[in-house]
This record gives sequence, structure tokens and C-alpha cells, in this order.
Amino acid sequence: MNQGRRRGFLNALLMLLITLAIASPIAAGAEGAAPAEIKIGHLHAASGPYASISMPVYDTLKLWVDQQNAAGGAFVKAFNKKIPLKLISYDDQSNPGTAAILINQLITQDKVDLLVCDSGSVLTAVAVPIAREHKMFLFDPTGTGAAFFSKDNPYIALLADPVSTVWPRYLWEFLKSDAAALGLKRVAILYATNDFTGTQASAIRAALKEAGSPSEIVFDQGVPTSTSNYSVLIDNIAATNPDIVLELGYVGNDIAFLRNLQDQDHKFKAVFTLYPGIETNVLMKNVGAQGLAGVFTYVTALGLTLKPEIGMTVEELRAAFEKAYGGGGVEFGWNAIAGHVTGLVIGETLAHADSLSQADLRQAVFGLSGKLKTLVGTFELREDGAQIGELTPIGQFGPDGKLAVVYPHEFATAKPKINAP
Amino acid sequence: MPRAARDFLRVGVPVVLLFALLPLFYQNELLLFNFVLFLILTQGLNAVYGFTGYLPFGYVGFFGAGAYGFALAVMHLAAPPLLALLLAGLAGVVLGLILTPLLRLSGAYFAIANLAAAQMVYQIIANPALADITKGPYGVSLASVFAPRASYAVALVILAFVLGLVAWLRHGRFGLALQAMRDDPVSAAMAGIPVLRGRVVAWLLSALIAGLAGGVFAWHISVFYPETAFDISISIFAIVFTLFGGAATLTGPIAGVLVLYGLYNVIGISVPQYFQLIYGALIVGLVLFLPRGFASLLSRRGIDVP
Repeated sequence: MNQGRRRGFLNALLMLLITLAIASPIAAGAEGAAPAEIKIGHLHAASGPYASISMPVYDTLKLWVDQQNAAGGAFVKAFNKKIPLKLISYDDQSNPGTAAILINQLITQDKVDLLVCDSGSVLTAVAVPIAREHKMFLFDPTGTGAAFFSKDNPYIALLADPVSTVWPRYLWEFLKSDAAALGLKRVAILYATNDFTGTQASAIRAALKEAGSPSEIVFDQGVPTSTSNYSVLIDNIAATNPDIVLELGYVGNDIAFLRNLQDQDHKFKAVFTLYPGIETNVLMKNVGAQGLAGVFTYVTALGLTLKPEIGMTVEELRAAFEKAYGGGGVEFGWNAIAGHVTGLVIGETLAHADSLSQADLRQAVFGLSGKLKTLVGTFELREDGAQIGELTPIGQFGPDGKLAVVYPHEFATAKPKINAP
Repeated sequence: MPRAARDFLRVGVPVVLLFALLPLFYQNELLLFNFVLFLILTQGLNAVYGFTGYLPFGYVGFFGAGAYGFALAVMHLAAPPLLALLLAGLAGVVLGLILTPLLRLSGAYFAIANLAAAQMVYQIIANPALADITKGPYGVSLASVFAPRASYAVALVILAFVLGLVAWLRHGRFGLALQAMRDDPVSAAMAGIPVLRGRVVAWLLSALIAGLAGGVFAWHISVFYPETAFDISISIFAIVFTLFGGAATLTGPIAGVLVLYGLYNVIGISVPQYFQLIYGALIVGLVLFLPRGFASLLSRRGIDVP
């Protein structure tokens, strides 16, 4: 009997110890003091091929952090008070190997509370498995590669760019409807072979090859993203006699293509390129209004007048950007807007998360889906973390360098014209 | 005790033990992995440059071939990581065999031809027309085999193997024959040393090491693009680290990696804007005033550098 009572007492004691062991960290976390600062880990590329898309994101994210701190910090629901933010951002020099080490540095050495990767798919790619391994939720500003998003990886959300497969939706609709009605049926596709533009080329190709499509693909070629001279390619395209040429590339590709097009005798009835509507200032400086006249492009928040429910309007952000960084060599464009949106999502996440645990941060981010309306439109996440809420209508530059929306009809401010650049 | 075994115990074993224990104290395991990776690559380069005098600027070609050999084995054969790693080494050796005719060249011609060959392999891998096989320029994702701890441990095993191999080359009959060929191939041939066979074996050993390094890199990082696996800076770093410490020694490349890659990471993380300036000045200074690496400072004074 004594032995049985002793065993019962030992069992109870053991249960008590186990309960205390499990409960103590939870209690400590719940009652823990608020941190002196919230650490946001980030990478940027100050040099190399991705600097042009990375630095604007960094600049506006930093601007957002500075604004928050000037107002006493960001409101953190977990501690019911405002806490200053500390942005720790390392320069990966556009090198994926360096980016991987620095992402590890942010997680393991700096022990950041929130992790934001660099811009673009190549530099995002290395961060995805590392964040997942460390069970850190990855705030992905503009890495749109479809391979990053899968239902078995809960540690990522794309914040500011639509996923690559969403971008060209209106483009192929436009090609099969309004463009075809204008006689633009023979389509040439020239694309840079990277995640962002390669995925779009695949989606457009598939849509135009569907049964009943009025369009015909007469040229379809991928070129390295490092391509800087399109003269021979333009000759090759001209030989296939297309009605419309789709050139899908990064900023440098579009500049080189449009410059080469200006220098050559070939005049296509219509041309579509990606970046004139995304980084308009850069393209305008390098190609000029004359070179952009008649060019079709995506229209981002830069060309739309969306009213945000949170954060600044495009013009307010542009003014703040110019005041903070004007003349610094970084142009205001879509990527600058993406940095601001990243800040807004982080701010709303902190304002809604029950704690700073990665699971609660994720829950808060996904809780914003469909509810957050910023200067780029509705923030909406697919189940796998891909961004699907933003719109990318089709626009066309006029002779005066102004961009008008031509498709879809509900947003259209002008009719498309066949107007060779 | 044979001198090769003594050198391995004095230098190789402590290095492997150091990197086996460091993760207990320092959590940025990827940084430690990169140190191990460059320790392997510099010794692989040492095997061909230090012992035959051939400096392959396109050494990264074997590394990339190994990375994609591993990726293809995982993606298309559903091979387990260790088998895929062997196939990665095999990919390096096969590429080495294909490029064996380059050994007919020497000096700058060999270096340039080798660099062009690496670019050729890169362009083939990154070709969008082969996207169904290699994923082309869109990169590979090997999430199904992602295992950073296991891959780190295997990298240490490869490092131990490579350090043992170089220790053997330094003192073994074959390695001494290679050094004789490097210093005077005509005399070596007249003494009955099979020059061509010796060079080819060293070349293939070097390709095998880079292939294994590429394979374990692919396993460790799991998501990468052709430009990551064929990044020319991998070749340049391996060459500079080897030259800094001193080729044809076991210690030289190790010292090169620990000092220069350590410096790279300290400067790269804290003041990246000064990195290229300091690093470039250091390299110029070394080439001008210490062309045979820091090991030569000691050997000139009669100190035996393992």
C-alpha cells in the first residue's frame, strides 16, 4: 500500500514537473517584457545586376521605418504599445552566395524578429529554403518565381508584386480580343530567360495556342537576361513579318531593345515591353518620349489612380521619396512602391499578430488577405503565399510620353492605336 | 609513420575537427559550409595547379557540372543524396575526360580555353530548350532532399578525403613524379615518368573533387540557378586563396581560405563598399611581392611547411 501511495505520489510529482516544464516558456513568453526594438532583417543589392530593382525597395522600406520611428515606433499588438523599429539591411552585392550567407547571418546571429529577402527571383531563391529550415516567415517583396510557392511551405508570402503567372493575364486577353480586332494577329515573343519573364512567356504562349485563338505565334525565342544588343534579333523578328512584338525582359533588356529599335529601319505595327510602365522614369530617361510613343506596356500603380485605405498615395510617396533621396541616383518607380507596400504589410502584421512568434506573424499576414487596400490595390494571398490581388492592366504611351490604360475596358482611359514606335 | 600520414594528422585532422566542432559555437552554418566548400575546392585546384602547373580558370565548370549532376540525379532518377553525390563526382570526371585535349595547351592558352569550356557548359545547362531536362535558366529546386546538417557532415568527409589525397600527393611516388613533370617535363619523360598519363590522372582527380564539391553544394543549398553554380567568382576565389597560401602544400590553401575568405566575410558584411578595394590591393601586393604565397616565407627560412 505504502509502495503504491509512494508510486502515486511520484507519478503526480512527475506530471507536475512536466506541466511546469511545458507551461513555463509559454508563461514567460506571455508575460515577457516588451523588447526595446523590433528587428527587421533585410538584404539589398547596392551593386550588380539586381541593384536597379533592389535599391528602390530598400530606400522606401527604410523611409517607412524612419517615418514609423519618428512617430514613436510601430504599434505592436502583442505588447499593446508602440515599439521602435530597427532595420538591419546587408548588401549582398547581387551575389546569391553572399545573399544566402547574409540571410543566415540575420537569422542566426542578429536574431531578427521579421525577415525580408532581397528583390527579384534569383536573390529570393536562396532565401526560401533557408527561411524554411529555420522556420522563419519570409516577407518576400518582389520575388515572383512560381516555384517559391507551394502548399507545403507555410513560411513565405509575396507582398508587393503579383506572382509571375498573374502578370500577363490581361495581356493575353488583350491580344486575343482588342489587338486581334485591330489586325494585330501575328505575334512575336522575345523574352529574357529568367523566372519572371520566362513564366510570363509560357503563360502567353499557352493562351495564344488555345483552340479558337485568333492569334498566331510567328516568332518565339528566349535570350539570356544579360543580352544588351538586340539588333540581330530585331532583324530576325522582322523577317517573320509580325503584327505585334512582345519583348519581355528586365529594365536593361527593355532599354536595349527599344534603343536598338529606334536605330534600325524596321518599324513594327505594335510593340509591347514590360518596364516602361513599371520603371517609367528610368525608361523615359534612357529611351525618351519619342522612343516610347505607341509602346504598349503594363500599367502599375504609377499609371493608375487607386485610393489607398492605408499608407500614402503614389504622389505622396513620390514626393517623400524625392525629398529623402532626390538626386541620389535611384529612380522612383514600381520597385520604390513595392518597398513602401512591404513596410505597410509589416506594420499591419505587427498591429494584428498576437505575438512575435513566426506562426502568429504568418497568421496575421494571411489575415490581411483581401482586407488591406494599399496604393497598388488589394493585398490578396493565395493559400501558398503567392500574391494575386493586384492588377496589371495594359496601357499605351502617347506621343507626349503619357501612359493611358487601354485594357481592360472598365479601367480604359483611351483606345489602343496602331502606332509604330 | 609515413610523412603523408604525419602531415594529414598534423594539419588535415585538426582542420576537419575544427569545422566539425564550430557549429556548436557558431550558428551561421552556411558560412561554415562555404569555408568547407572552399577548403575542398582549393585543395582540388592544388591537385592540378600545385602538382602539374596547369591553372584552370574555368575550374568552376567542374563544380557546376557536379551541382547539376546531383540535381539531375535527384530530379530524374529520384536518387538518394549519397548516390546523387557519387554521380555528381562522376559528372565532374566525365567533363574532365571530355576536356582532356585541353592539356595539349599550356600557360595562358590553357587557362583561357578552360574558361571558355566552363562557359560552354554553363550555356548548355542554361539553354531554355533543355528546360525539360536541366530546368534551363529557371533554376532547380531540390526541396525533397534538403538536409543542411547531413550535407555539412558529408562535406566534412569529402574534405578529409581531399586533404588526405593532397598529403599523399605531396609525399607519394605519384605526387613526386607530378612535381618532377611540373618542373621539367622533358627530363621527367626521359627519366621514364609517363608524363601524359600523370597529367591526365591529376586533372581527373581535380575534376572529381570539384564535382563532389558541386554536388554537396547543390544538396546543401537546394535551390539554385545556373549562374549560381557556374559563378566565375568561385574559380577566382579558389585560385586566389591557393596562390595566397602557397600551392603544392597542404597548409597553404588552408591558410588562404581561412585568412582571405574570413576577411571577405568580415569586410563584406560590415563595410562592403571597401571590400573590393582592400581585397584587390591585397591581391596585387601578394602577386608582386609574394608570388609563391605565404608558405614560401617559411620555406625560404628552411622551415618545413606541410
